[in-house]
Formats: sequence, structure tokens, C-alpha cells
Amino acid sequence: MILRILFLTNLYPPLILGGYEIACAQTAEAMRNRGHEVQVLTTWSHIPQREAIPDWVHRRLDLHWYIPHVPNHTLEVRDLHSAVCSSYANTLHLLDALSNFRPDVVSAWNLTGIGGLAMMDLMNYLEVPWTLYLGDRVPVDIATNVPDDVKGIFNARGGEVYERAHIFSVSRNLLDEIELMSNITFPQGADIVAGWVDLAQSLPHQPYLQNGKARFVAASAIYQHKGTDLIIEASAQLQASGVDFSVDIFGEGDLPRYIDMVKRLHLQDRIRFLGSRPYADLLKAYAGYDAFLCPTWERDPFPFAPLGAAGCCTPPILTRNCGTSERMVDRVHCIKIERTTDDLARAMAEVAAGRVDLEKMGRAGRRLVEGDLSFERHIQKMESAFQECARPWEMPDDPTLPLLLFLKHNLSVRLRFG
Amino acid sequence: MGGGERYVDYITQSLQTVEGFDQAIFTIGPDDQLFLRNGIPIRVLKNESSQPGMTNALSTFLWRELSGFDLVHIHQCLTLFGAYSTAVVRSLKIPTVGTDLGGGEDQQMLRGRGVELLDGVVSISQYAHNLLGSYFKGPHEIIIGPVDTDRFSSTSVNAIRNPREILCVSRILPHKGIDRVIAALPASLSLTIVGRVYHQSYYELLCKMAEGKNVRFILEANDDTLVDIYNRSGVFVQASTARDVFGNNIAKPELMGLTTLEAMSCGLPVLVSDAGSLPELVTDARFGRVFFSHDDLVMLFQEIADGVWPGPNAGEFARSHVISRHGLNAIGIRLADFYKRTVARQKKQGNDIANSVSH
Repeated sequence: MILRILFLTNLYPPLILGGYEIACAQTAEAMRNRGHEVQVLTTWSHIPQREAIPDWVHRRLDLHWYIPHVPNHTLEVRDLHSAVCSSYANTLHLLDALSNFRPDVVSAWNLTGIGGLAMMDLMNYLEVPWTLYLGDRVPVDIATNVPDDVKGIFNARGGEVYERAHIFSVSRNLLDEIELMSNITFPQGADIVAGWVDLAQSLPHQPYLQNGKARFVAASAIYQHKGTDLIIEASAQLQASGVDFSVDIFGEGDLPRYIDMVKRLHLQDRIRFLGSRPYADLLKAYAGYDAFLCPTWERDPFPFAPLGAAGCCTPPILTRNCGTSERMVDRVHCIKIERTTDDLARAMAEVAAGRVDLEKMGRAGRRLVEGDLSFERHIQKMESAFQECARPWEMPDDPTLPLLLFLKHNLSVRLRFG
Repeated sequence: MGGGERYVDYITQSLQTVEGFDQAIFTIGPDDQLFLRNGIPIRVLKNESSQPGMTNALSTFLWRELSGFDLVHIHQCLTLFGAYSTAVVRSLKIPTVGTDLGGGEDQQMLRGRGVELLDGVVSISQYAHNLLGSYFKGPHEIIIGPVDTDRFSSTSVNAIRNPREILCVSRILPHKGIDRVIAALPASLSLTIVGRVYHQSYYELLCKMAEGKNVRFILEANDDTLVDIYNRSGVFVQASTARDVFGNNIAKPELMGLTTLEAMSCGLPVLVSDAGSLPELVTDARFGRVFFSHDDLVMLFQEIADGVWPGPNAGEFARSHVISRHGLNAIGIRLADFYKRTVARQKKQGNDIANSVSH
């Protein structure tokens, strides 16, 4: 059955923060390639785009929290309200999209920044079939940043607002975290759809440890929570031990801090910051590295990058209990570490010393990604779920609907700000 | 209970006189409660509002509790409570009727046009409806009352009526215009003022004005005492004003004079001022007169003192009028009809949409 699928997401390439947005774009494009009629409703992007924006991507939503030079903790409460609770203009744009496109199913992704609570409430009101792909703890963001009486306007005092949605989650870990932090469970169940890798752009891996040198790579936002400090500190330990190695770090973030840190520890000849690269270029680049470093924070729901590296036969060294770890076996597909400098340094030293069969581990990683975690398999799973969810729904001929949305939005503002 | 609460109590009683309805009252309070009153379950939901004030009270549990009802009548719809409840009830796709009982002038509901989310409006007077009518153009009904004509009855006690006894029943507040009654009261008439003090300096002013006149205050009176007083008095006066003795302008001075109706139900002829809805209550000079000024009231008091007005059957006319127009059953029938029409209209709209989709 050919479906009309509306993708609703805060970010969409070229503006991305990580795997979540890439996964959304890949899914939308894959659904189009499978013959479905797809529309994307997302926010503006300030990133210069070389190619024409496809006419099925509608950048009509306002984004209420992404200002690159302003840390999130300085957000005004009013911005926060618009970001997680209600943005009337965005809710109306969704209403327009639903009215004009009449999707069989809405595929919602990260709704933080666009007033997601009011949007979910609208979909429930219209009884539109919808799915929610949890790649991060969006329900916690909403639960903890919206007062209870305001949540009540949108029937979100508990987990009611999610009850009609088909839930996908990148990991069990993420669902547990959401339950722990917000008491929101999903009694209807949740499909675990872990991250995936589209290996179409990858290259055959080059020989490991060429000339006796270990080449490490990392690709993520460059911040403490992603483990950049640990990578630099572990590199200092390796250097002190006389190990021959290099680390290339792809991505953007707090570069001034880390360039200084590298300089202070005399690691300029070891560590390079190479900026961000398109996803396909990264996959090609992984072929030249011996191991991928991912000492990310424990609550990282599902970093996609180590999976991509594994698919390119570059074994990841990753935090033992991050989301991606759920899908990989220690010492078979990857090396799992405690999130400490010492443990990371020990794993890197093992790799550099040739005590890890990188070729065998690389092949196992690729097999895992080509099998259980293949792009095709996940797309098939999501497509099946979309087919199951899709059912006819009626757009009421009700001219007062924008008024109801207006009343709810203004009540939310009034209860919060007086 | 104040007038707003009594109104809700009365109209639920009135609907009980008509078959085919199950009712429940939901309200907000400091704690959860459930009890019965006159056979009607009253569910008190714990206030969850972050805003102070009872008209700002709300409960998120309305989502769960209201599910399954065929119609919800939101009283005090021009308050934050009303706006919140309207949002919830409309989201549940339940036909919604609203009534303004004078608790607020919520701008989201008025200038924000939230009232247009209501499927119908019941106004407690033409005057009340005029205030709402410029914002709400949908189906509406003006229902003045009801009054429990069995409880407020001239035959319920064996009292001797004093035709020279004037009675005022109201909270002691400046906009009630009690000062105007005292000022116009001649030496040949006596005046009883029944009501709690809500404004101390106004009460002190009234006491001073009453010096040398035949005036008494009863500050605490239960319903039985009140009925007894109604039955011993000669004429009831409600002198509310849009501009009080201190020079303050009053918005919505009287949306409905419930005590006037109760007095009439007890067989009392009435004098009412021209404030708010009060003139709507006295449609026949045989049992009620309207005054527009101090001089008018002085003249009317003189007619009473001279035995010119009211006529011998004025009390019967008053009671008969209230029973036929404002009694529980009369109001119940009209209310039931309005509710049924509202639900039917919603069902028809739903069917029309379903048909247009299937075609």
C-alpha cells in the first residue's frame, strides 16, 4: 500500500546536531524511494545549501532554542516554553500540513524546539495516526520543563499524550531512562529500532596498524559529555608511554577549549581537529583508521557514529552502557570500556600494541551492521509499522479549531507567566 | 453559598423535574471529595492551579472525569476556570454550554473569542446576555431563575405579614445600594436588612444613616429564618447600583436578582432599581415596580405608606408569576429542551462530516 507520510522534525539536514536528524532524513528519503508520498515539515536552516531544497521538504516551522553561540542554559523561560510546550504558529503550520497533505500517518521525530507538546495534542485531537521515534529523551524534556497545570491543558499530566502514538525507541536504555526521570511508560509498547547504517558509500578497509602506527578516529559533537576530554587525556597517557598513534577528531563544538588543552598537553602532533564532514565522506574516511573512539556519556541514547564505523570495519571503543552498546558484543564487535581516562587509554594501548584482532573484529562489526542493523532491515521495520498504523481519519470541517488551539496556547502562556 | 453556587444548585434541581437526564456536578476545591446533594453526585477535584483565587482554580483530572458525558454546562465560563474547562471539554469533543455568573470577564474568552468554542450559551438574564452577545453569536437561551418555589413559599410558615415592613436581602456591599433604601425610607415604614457584612466601612456608614430611623440589621440568617422574614415583610427592595455611594463604577451590578425572585416566590411585592437585569424581573406593575432615582424611591415608599401600592392581591400575582416563569419545572423544561437541541445539533454536524467523507 502506498502511504502518504508526513515527517515532523525539529532539525533536518543540512542543519544537524547528530545522528537523530540524519536518521530522520534517511528514513524520509528511503520511504520516497519505496514509492510512498512523503512530506517533511521542519524548521529553517541557516546552513548554505548547494543543492536545491526538494519541494517535499517544507521549512515552515520556527525553531525556538537553537542559537549556535548561546548555550541552552541561558534560554529565557519563555523561549523554553515555546520550545517544549507550545508555539502557536508552529501548531498552525502542522494543522495546515495535516489539512492539505492528509497524511495516512505522521512520523514524528525530535519535537524539542518547536513546541512539541501542543503538536502531539493536536494529532491526538484529530485522531491522526502517528508514530514517535525516540532518539533522545524528548518526553523527559517536556515533563520536566512544563508545569503540571500547563501540561493538563494538553492532557499530558502523565503519559496520556503518547498513548495513541506508535513508539519507536533507539534503545531499551532510553525507555528506562524516560521512565525513571518522568514516570512515563508506554503501555502500548515500544518497538526498539536501533540505529542503522547505510553502507552504500563506504570503502573497503585499508590494512590495520600500517607502519606500526595506530590511527584512531572520533566523530561527534566536541564536548565534555561526548568524551572529548577523555580522548585527549588518554592520548596524553599513550604519548607518555611512547606509543606511536594519532587521533583525528571530526565534528564541531567547543574547539577553542580543546585546541588549548591539546597544546597544553603537547599533543599537537598527535591530535587533529578536522571539522564536520558530510555523513558519506565520514563513512569513506573510516576505512583508513584502526579504531573509533566513543567514550560518550552513559546516557547517550544511541550514538550512530560508532555503528557507522563498525560497519566500515573500524572497531569502536565505546562506553559500556551507552545505547549503542546494547547492540554490540564486547570483544566481538567492539571494545567496551568504563567511562574513565584510564580505561580508554588501556583500550587504545591494546589496539596500538596489536593485542586486538582488529581485522576479525572489523569483519564481525560489518556483518552485524549488514545484518541486524542494516539500513534496509530498519527501513522495512519502520515501513511495516507505518502500514500498520495507517488508517483513515477525518479532518473536521470545523472553523473553530484554530480558536481551540489559540485558547490552549494562550492558557499555557498565561498559567506559566501570569 | 453565594449566588453563583446557588444558581448551579437550582438549575440541577430544575433538570431533575424532567425525565431523561443523569447529572453530576464537578467543581474544584482544596481537596478531592465526592458527595451527594439532592441525589446528584458532586465531585470536588483538587485544585491544581498555580494561580491564586477560586475563579482561577482548575483540575487536569477533568480530562478523565468528563469523558463519556453527552454535554457539559460550564458555569462561570468567563474565568480562567471557565477557559481551562472549555479547552478540555472541546478537546474531548463534548458539546459545551456556557454561562456567565458574573465571576469574571476573561479576555481570552471574550476578546480572544474563546466563547465561540461554546456550542450554546445560557444567560441568566437579557442583561447578562447583552454583555456576552457581542462576542457569542451562536444558539443561546435566556433562563432567569430557577427558584425553589416549594421552599420559598408564602404557605410554608404561619407568619403575619406587616405591610409597612420593607425588606432588603443582600450581602452588605456598596454596589447593593442599601444606602439608597435607608436614605429614602420615611418615618412611617420600617426596614429590615438581612445579609453578611463584606465591606466594614460601608456597614458602618449604613449604621450611621440608620440612626433615628426604624432600621434593623440581621447579619446572620439561615434559609429557614430567611423564609420566615420574607413571610413577615410587606415589600422587598433590591436597590443595586452601577455607581456606589463611594463613587465607584460597578461592572455587571446584577446579572440576575435571585433574592428578588425568592422574595416574589414568598408572595412579596418588590421594588427594584434599574441596575443590571433587575427590571427584567418585574414585568407587571401589580407585583413589582422599578425606580430610577432617589425621588422615585421616595415616591414609591410614600405609596406604600399611604396604602396605594401594592394592591391586595400583589403577593399572589408575584408568586404566580414566579411559579409559571421561574419555577423549577418551568426552567427544567426549557433547559432540557436547550440541552437536547445542542446535543442534536452536534450530532448532526458530526453526521454531516462523516457523510461528506464517505462520499
